[in-house]
Amino acid sequence: MTGGTNQVEGNIAALAAGLAMGLGAIGPGIGLGIAVSKAMEALGRNPEASGAIFVPYILGIALAEAIGIYALVVSLLLIFVA
Amino acid sequence: MPEEEGESLIHVAIEAEELFQLRPLSFTNSMVGALLTSLLLGLAAWYITRRSSLVPGRLQSAFELPVELMSGIVSASSSRWRGYVGLILGFFLTILVANWIGLLPGVGTIGITHIDASGHEAVIPIVRPASADLNFTLGLALVAFVMFVYWGIKANGPGGYLKELLGEPLYMAPLMFPINLISEFSRLISLSMRLFGNVFAGEVLLATMIALAPILIPAVFLGLEVLFGFVQALVFALLAMTYIATAIAEHHTSDHGEADAAGADHPTAAEAAHA
Repeated sequence: MTGGTNQVEGNIAALAAGLAMGLGAIGPGIGLGIAVSKAMEALGRNPEASGAIFVPYILGIALAEAIGIYALVVSLLLIFVA
Repeated sequence: MPEEEGESLIHVAIEAEELFQLRPLSFTNSMVGALLTSLLLGLAAWYITRRSSLVPGRLQSAFELPVELMSGIVSASSSRWRGYVGLILGFFLTILVANWIGLLPGVGTIGITHIDASGHEAVIPIVRPASADLNFTLGLALVAFVMFVYWGIKANGPGGYLKELLGEPLYMAPLMFPINLISEFSRLISLSMRLFGNVFAGEVLLATMIALAPILIPAVFLGLEVLFGFVQALVFALLAMTYIATAIAEHHTSDHGEADAAGADHPTAAEAAHA
């Protein structure tokens, strides 16, 4: 990586990686916030239901978080592969 | 990062690094992590079952805790849970130990020094947590994938499985079949990528924090990583469980409107709610 164009490309890839992660974290962040707030609300209204809420809650936040992980994978690809 | 000439404090490699050649294969440091995981689990199982008693001692209760937690959750998922509880437990314990091995002191830091291609001196860590390698997580996801397809075919027959792929109103099949097919395979990708991404991101986070503030601050993130390692093991096991439970469930009301491929597993979460 010594050529001038390669240097520029590397810089743009680093910028793109940061943008991909930052923008890609917005959606999952909002989604996780909604999921957790609703779960806490349900728990507050009916504390006995914690066992029934737990598994779907974990699955829901895992699915929301997966979108953020996709963004992470894209930015890792941009840094290490591109 | 390779393009910078300056010495980088953070050593991060996205792929497992090779320790030595084992003629057709290259033996990587994540294989050491995977072997260590299996060894630890096998030793623990051997030691506990050798002197287990009906009234568990302190150590035995500690080892029974995750098993009881998982079998409690799995037994609520469907009536035929005995068939797959072992697989789900295996996933959970393997991933849990594989994740937590990465948090032990010396795992990312003790290594072999060598001169890399650009002439720099670099350290290859001897042990890398197995779940920070995409090969390992993809292997686990493949096992889960084969198992839930197998269970689906076993429960509903090949015709029933194909019918489920084709979708409910048969005239919609040309549209629904590719979507359902993609959604089946996207489970494979999302299962493996989620685990790999989380554990690898945790590694990068720890390395960054140690480089930024070497004293006291990394301890907070180390504590967080213990929690995340547990949650990710739980998530993988629970998702595999849900996929199997929905595969073997009888389909009388079919509302599989899986419109988008990426978010294709939403109905499973909904089905887990009333399972």
